[in-house]
Amino acid sequence: MRIRVERSGGLAGIPISNEIDGKDLPSGLTRTAKKIMEDKSVPSLSIKLSPRGAADHYTYKISIQDGRNQRVIECNQYNIEDDLKSLVNYIERNSKRRTN
Amino acid sequence: MFFKKNHNIINSVGHILNPGDQICFIIPEYMNKNIVEKGTKKQKEHAWKNLILTEQLRGRRLVTGLMSSMFSVSNKLDRTIFDAGNTENLPGTLVRREGEKPKGGKTVSEAYDYSGSTYNFYKDIFERNSIDTRGMKLDSTVHYGEDYNNAFWNGTQMVYGDGDGEIFQRFTKSIDVIGHELTHGVTQYEAALEYEGQPGALNESFSDVFGSLVKQYALKQKADKADWLIGAGLFTNKIKGVALRSMKEPGSAYNDPTIGKDPQPGHMKNYVNTSSDNGGVHINSGIPNRAFYLAAIELGGYAWERAGRIWYISLTERLRERSNFQKSANITYEVAGTLYGKSSHEQNAVKKAWDQVGIKVKAMK
Repeated sequence: MRIRVERSGGLAGIPISNEIDGKDLPSGLTRTAKKIMEDKSVPSLSIKLSPRGAADHYTYKISIQDGRNQRVIECNQYNIEDDLKSLVNYIERNSKRRTN
Repeated sequence: MFFKKNHNIINSVGHILNPGDQICFIIPEYMNKNIVEKGTKKQKEHAWKNLILTEQLRGRRLVTGLMSSMFSVSNKLDRTIFDAGNTENLPGTLVRREGEKPKGGKTVSEAYDYSGSTYNFYKDIFERNSIDTRGMKLDSTVHYGEDYNNAFWNGTQMVYGDGDGEIFQRFTKSIDVIGHELTHGVTQYEAALEYEGQPGALNESFSDVFGSLVKQYALKQKADKADWLIGAGLFTNKIKGVALRSMKEPGSAYNDPTIGKDPQPGHMKNYVNTSSDNGGVHINSGIPNRAFYLAAIELGGYAWERAGRIWYISLTERLRERSNFQKSANITYEVAGTLYGKSSHEQNAVKKAWDQVGIKVKAMK
């Protein structure tokens, strides 16, 4: 399994991408990633839903690849699911790669 | 629209209004306003419905204003600073109210002082009473999140991270960033530019324009003396960059191995089509940013006096949710003509500025 997190937006507008191999995740987060992969109740596209007038918030594109299965979720800081947020936070803190 | 006893009411575009709505229009507008403010709950609801229907036919501004009037109106600066304690819970713990002596450290003081500077700028220059023109309280939360590299406006308040100490320092450090965030609130209550694509880039640009003017006003700087940078000093010394953005030379603010190169274009020929960042709102804002800079430099003197006034009137009176760059160019040109006269130096400066970023002003009918 590989997970890629692309974050854009924010006041600075500096895009940052981080990628991690599933084997480098703590077991709890591996389960979370697999759950998100299969959980259709997690919306795939909620990136444009934000409070009225809100600005400079972060937007996310999270791609999970597990064998031949792939799931892409686009959301923002206001509607990211709690489980997904934990996963994103871990990846942003622990993966070395930062690209534009 | 007209009303006849025992007949349907037909609106200005020829639609027959349903019976419940028809009754609404018997009551004059001024009476509805009074009822909204002073009537019983049921009366208020009815009057409110009337006004909304009226506004659907005539535009939205009256209703927006009245919505504000249902809440208390203040003519005084009213700041509150909260501390999120490095969590993401808003608003956090109250640290400092309006009029209290400094406490809570440098970050709290900066949020307090610079939001005051922004309020005073809008009041002194444009006679604007806070974000919503009704004395809206200015709430700010500092120490948001852990190593949080951002500041944002969430629709009701400002929020500032401390930065991670690697790329960014605390976001309250820069007065124009605080002016930028508060201006998102102003835009929300005025043109309400949608946060996507060109309207979103205009939304960002107006925040940069007035954020920069807040700084220039605080420093009493003329246009040719200003740095025209947004977020100068926010980067740590580990990053090769002077600021988040340059209005003078978009694309030149930073160039660093960790965060990359400033991607902002300063001309339409370099417009960036992208789906990230809500369609590049922080990228393509470089184009209208530079147009404002060029107009301000051409006009000289204090940028808030003429260029700033033209942009402010455009934002508050003329632009709408889906206005794009071309519309913004046309409107600022027209507003310059209204304020300073047709073919005036000011109107020509606006036209020339947009032309230099690749947008030909089209006079509206």
